[in-house]
Amino acid sequence: MNHTTRRTAILSGLAGLGGVAGAATLAGCTGSGTDGSGSIQPPAGLSGPSARARAFRGARQAGIVEHPQPYAAFVAFTLPAGTERDALRRLLTVWTDDIERLTSGRGTLTDLEGELAAVTARLTVTVGVGRRAVTVAGKTPPEWLAPLPAYAMDRLEARWGEADLILQICADSPTTVAHAQRRLITSVEPLADVRWVQRGFREPFEGPGLPMRNLFGQVDGTVQPTLDGADDEVLFVGEAGPQWLREGSAMVVRRIAMSMDTWDKVDRAGRENAIGRRLDTGGPVTGGGIDAPLDLTRTDDLGFTVVDQAAHVRRAHPVTPHERFLRRPYSYDDAPEGSAVSNSGLIFVAYCADPVRQFVPVQARLAELDLLNIWTVPIGSAVFAALPGARDGEILGQALLS
Amino acid sequence: MRFLVRACAPVAVLALAACSSGTSTPSPASPGGAAPLTLTDGWCKSTDSMPAMSKEMTGCFGTLVNTTGKELKISGGSTDAAMMVELHETVKNASGQMQMQPVPDGFTIPAGGSFALKPGANHVMLMKLKGDLKTGDKVTVTFDTSAGKGALTWEIRAFPGAEESYVPSPSNS
Repeated sequence: MNHTTRRTAILSGLAGLGGVAGAATLAGCTGSGTDGSGSIQPPAGLSGPSARARAFRGARQAGIVEHPQPYAAFVAFTLPAGTERDALRRLLTVWTDDIERLTSGRGTLTDLEGELAAVTARLTVTVGVGRRAVTVAGKTPPEWLAPLPAYAMDRLEARWGEADLILQICADSPTTVAHAQRRLITSVEPLADVRWVQRGFREPFEGPGLPMRNLFGQVDGTVQPTLDGADDEVLFVGEAGPQWLREGSAMVVRRIAMSMDTWDKVDRAGRENAIGRRLDTGGPVTGGGIDAPLDLTRTDDLGFTVVDQAAHVRRAHPVTPHERFLRRPYSYDDAPEGSAVSNSGLIFVAYCADPVRQFVPVQARLAELDLLNIWTVPIGSAVFAALPGARDGEILGQALLS
Repeated sequence: MRFLVRACAPVAVLALAACSSGTSTPSPASPGGAAPLTLTDGWCKSTDSMPAMSKEMTGCFGTLVNTTGKELKISGGSTDAAMMVELHETVKNASGQMQMQPVPDGFTIPAGGSFALKPGANHVMLMKLKGDLKTGDKVTVTFDTSAGKGALTWEIRAFPGAEESYVPSPSNS
């Protein structure tokens, strides 16, 4: 079962058990009034997932295996020069408290606008650390926590580069994302400085029959590890990784500019050939629906393979079983710069246990040959370690700082 | 049916989280029983990002709770972090600007009631700080109350507001 279907099942389950009513009741029980410091009862018309808060505490952070919410902000930070371990501890103490409050529908401790936190909208905030933060904490970074190899098609801009910390903030409401982002940035003054912000979106009406499409119209993120536990070793750091990162995950964030102007010149057959999937169903050009296996060897009447030798799906197809990772992409469509009329692309986000082993071989094949490279250019790249979750009584990064 | 079970669990967890919303720190004033004075969601404005001239003092906010069946008065307090602790109110001065000043009679919390400390309203001031209050640390303040001394722990948080001007003497004195 893919996670779209699972999400639907959860929603119908909630409705059937009166979960929504329960959520509304609990919002009223803190009794802090409407002064912005306490919980506010969500509007009566709001139902389903938007009124529901998420569990924050656990062995793993939220925001990885959950179906991606439609709105996201990726906020990267640098630690000021001379930052010591205690400052990192204090920073993660504050974020842990802030995130726990925000994901349960309450403003942060200093929040004078708690009303903006009342609609949790399935908010998740996932915290990752870069190589320097690990060193600051006095631990040894894993080898993969470093810039990816340079690829021939890269045109990386420093403004989207590596950083010391990252927040992945996702929710069903762009207002919820904006408020969480603002509070989480201001609350760690002066412990961290914003390096970049990337804002992304997916189809808010995503669901059965309406998959995630990137701005080229392609169904995206089709082939994924299973998220019910069977592929945990693909997704999460296990015993082979550092002790402080067990149940954490590697997080790769690449900004891929998409040339809308040149893509617009290509006909539909050319577009489908470039990726190797049909635009309408997202199924392979060799036939079948979205979940149908690729037939990479089938040939046409002229003896050419139906899936082009340079098609994206062929080049991205795992050669060994471990070349798999979780894709959690978001589109961006920012204000055009200079004389351009579009500034669009994809915030490619991948989670896995070891990107050098699982992700880099795929990336190397795509860099060597991929028809999509005609229209796409990586302009940003950064690698982080998404921390393990905070269990009861812990802060995020508890093991990192111990 | 597997999904129904999954769907229900987070709701139950959240109910607990929301009902214990505050970080509540008991006062040790009455060992064995409930502390007479407790604090919910208490925080003090950090000074590590303040300009040097502002670092001398800072404000503390949250909700004080009187757990006793009798009215509780707070007359003052002390802390290792500062030379003085003052209880303040914020009032409009003759020129219409908001300014804060010590309350002459301290704070009074009704039996079983609570007392809100907010930026721009009643609050606790730590005066003549001995050092920076750093974002993400904690500070303990011991209050003198009609039910004895009560120590309360406050989180230290960055906050851009609470910049009212300070008038050291009460306007009605």
